[in-house]
Amino acid sequence: MHHGNHFYGHAHVLAEYCGLDPADPPRIDGYLQHGWNVVDGLGAGTPYAPGRPIFVWSERTRRRAWSMNRPMATVIGSPFLYLLRSTSEESGAERDGTIWYPFHGWEGQEVDGDHRRLIDEIVATEPGPITFCLYWHEYSDARIRAAYERAGRVICHGYRGYMRMRTDTRFLHKQLAELRRHKRVASNRLSSAIFYGVAAGCEPAVYGNPMQLAKEDAPTAERIRREWAELHGIAPDPGAARRIAMAELGDGYLASPAELRATLGWTRGDQQ
Amino acid sequence: MSNFQPDIGPETAGPLSSASMRGPRHVEKGSMIRMIGGEMPEHAEQRAPAGGDLYRHLLGRLPTGTRVLVAGPHHTGLLDALADGRTVTCLVRSQPDAEALSARGFTVLCGTLAKLADTDRYDVVVALDGTARLCSPEGPQLDWAEAVRVLKRVLRPGGTLLLTVENELGVHRLVDRGTVTALTSAATAAEWRPLGEFGNAPGRPDRLAAALGAEGLPVSGLAAAWPSQAEPSLLVTPETLRYGPLDALAALASGAVATAYQGKAVLSDPRRLASAAVRRGLGAELAPAWLAVAQLSTRPAPMVPIPPVSYLRGGRVVEGADTLPAGRLLEELLLTAALGHDLPALRRLLTGWMAALPAAAADNVLVEGDRYTLLDESRPERPDGLARFASTLALGGYAHPWPAITDVTRLTEVLAGAAGLETAPPAPEPAAAPDSRRDHEQQLTDLRRQLADAEARGRFFEAELEKRDAELGRAKVQIAAFSGSFAYRAAKAGLGIARKARHRLYKGRQ
Repeated sequence: MHHGNHFYGHAHVLAEYCGLDPADPPRIDGYLQHGWNVVDGLGAGTPYAPGRPIFVWSERTRRRAWSMNRPMATVIGSPFLYLLRSTSEESGAERDGTIWYPFHGWEGQEVDGDHRRLIDEIVATEPGPITFCLYWHEYSDARIRAAYERAGRVICHGYRGYMRMRTDTRFLHKQLAELRRHKRVASNRLSSAIFYGVAAGCEPAVYGNPMQLAKEDAPTAERIRREWAELHGIAPDPGAARRIAMAELGDGYLASPAELRATLGWTRGDQQ
Repeated sequence: MSNFQPDIGPETAGPLSSASMRGPRHVEKGSMIRMIGGEMPEHAEQRAPAGGDLYRHLLGRLPTGTRVLVAGPHHTGLLDALADGRTVTCLVRSQPDAEALSARGFTVLCGTLAKLADTDRYDVVVALDGTARLCSPEGPQLDWAEAVRVLKRVLRPGGTLLLTVENELGVHRLVDRGTVTALTSAATAAEWRPLGEFGNAPGRPDRLAAALGAEGLPVSGLAAAWPSQAEPSLLVTPETLRYGPLDALAALASGAVATAYQGKAVLSDPRRLASAAVRRGLGAELAPAWLAVAQLSTRPAPMVPIPPVSYLRGGRVVEGADTLPAGRLLEELLLTAALGHDLPALRRLLTGWMAALPAAAADNVLVEGDRYTLLDESRPERPDGLARFASTLALGGYAHPWPAITDVTRLTEVLAGAAGLETAPPAPEPAAAPDSRRDHEQQLTDLRRQLADAEARGRFFEAELEKRDAELGRAKVQIAAFSGSFAYRAAKAGLGIARKARHRLYKGRQ
């Protein structure tokens, strides 16, 4: 339906879960929520075709979507959780250090902030080795990348894709594998990566200069700090963090492959 | 036409020993009609008379050897049951009906209730059709209390009155599409004085008991009747409806109206209304009718015991609250989970249902914790139960977790997946659910919204298409520019120059 369905290989992960060809996911009859958000599950600026469903991660998001005049939402849970459930963790693998996700911009919005000061704060805070995971946007900026490389290992999970082009369909697989190697997951903003990290068994932290997106809606950022306060700080309570993170990812709401196929419109002949 | 024999009545026939009355139906020699006055010579009753297995079972409990007056239209099945060991006299206002009864061997008093003399007394008066069809158009029109007084007059001391009262605010009325206060009303057929809720019959079972008590007819038994006064399949005492197992009783009430309203046009779904009424403690107040057993005695000894619950199960009468399976109706639990968008609960219920009783309809399964039991084992199997529930969900005006799926087949596939099935079950056979006006209204609202959405989507796609067309046009030009050979590009450029020159020439000529 919308090219955002292919971001991070979400459609591909779901196709694989449904027993279909992960290289060529059928068209989804609706909009997949492609990242944790505090609005209606649609990405910012996504043009919405009326009457089509939004497949959201959590019941909370569904209700919020209703309050934003988007009643056509169905909870399916996050694709990351489907992936997590179908790939078991290697037993005996040692977890070490922190995977740190600096808040990222995207094609439409650049991040404005001092990376140097943030890095100093991270190094002063984190007890173990640090892996910086940059978003492709910052990763491809040699100046920013070099700043992080001086402080630790720097990785990138891949390109999320745009208009179904250059999509790294193994994005989430790589992210899950990296998360499972670390003890902690941290960022300067509460975001999908923190929730994914908690689900993958990391202890979360959200601290440091939150930076600003160009033309960013400040009240929304403030609301996130207020509403999800339990996940903020250098060492939030892991139990509470896990409870909240799993709910946001739709734990308990994942559909069976057969149900998901029918829900996404993958059972009808004309969609195959 | 009729045997007019004024001198021979039950009372004048002399006392009969109960022994002489046992055995096959007692038919008075040369069965006869006594015209008491005010009869309706050309009028046969239009609405169905009181009947059914539950009434028959009840009447079968009356002591044998008794004299029984059956006042108003009653099904001959009931009369036959009564006549088994008892002396039966029928009172009907319609002459054709009286003749039909007489032809079957019954003693009949034909005429209006106002003319019923108290010279004949009975051990039992049965008025399961109520009092509305006892008076004929000619002569005084007795209201409810007056009718009861006349019936009381023909009771022997210690005698028993079995009377039903229609609840003018019962579920059957609330869902009725027709009016009951018009002369032309189909619901009341040939009512010449259609009072409906303007009448003065008691409006609650406790008031019915009080009213009969005030007439010197203390009540020894009282029951709410579902789904209709004419043919109940469920009788529950008000005490049981107050303190009894309400979930199971609600399932029974819902089942009773489901059978009665199959495919019938209604305002709203009577199954939900009946069930909600019972579960919320209004089962006695909103029942379609009440049955009272009263006695002409200051110290009534129950002649006909009314069990806490009695209902029909595969043509058999089952009695007693302890026979009820525990739990709540699966269909209602599923709807509750769907309305609350409680996907985990919905999946748990669907999976439990398909694992335990896949061939049972959702309205024939009771759920208590993890236990799934059949409500009525005598009902036929329903392999299309899941698809049928999908249809209820899609067309019955219920919110559910898949609001964008409007197609029943696809919703069935989703539910099958949610139930842990790999393949969807067969499509539902034509539904026999009540045909509710409210559902129609909701379907219309939904269709309007779908149409508006589809139109908006049409415009949305058109705009997207234009955008893509423009992009495609630009891409084609780029492809042509970069893919051709130098000669091709030179020739194309030349053509362009030539076209412009021709255009200039053409403009110059004008």
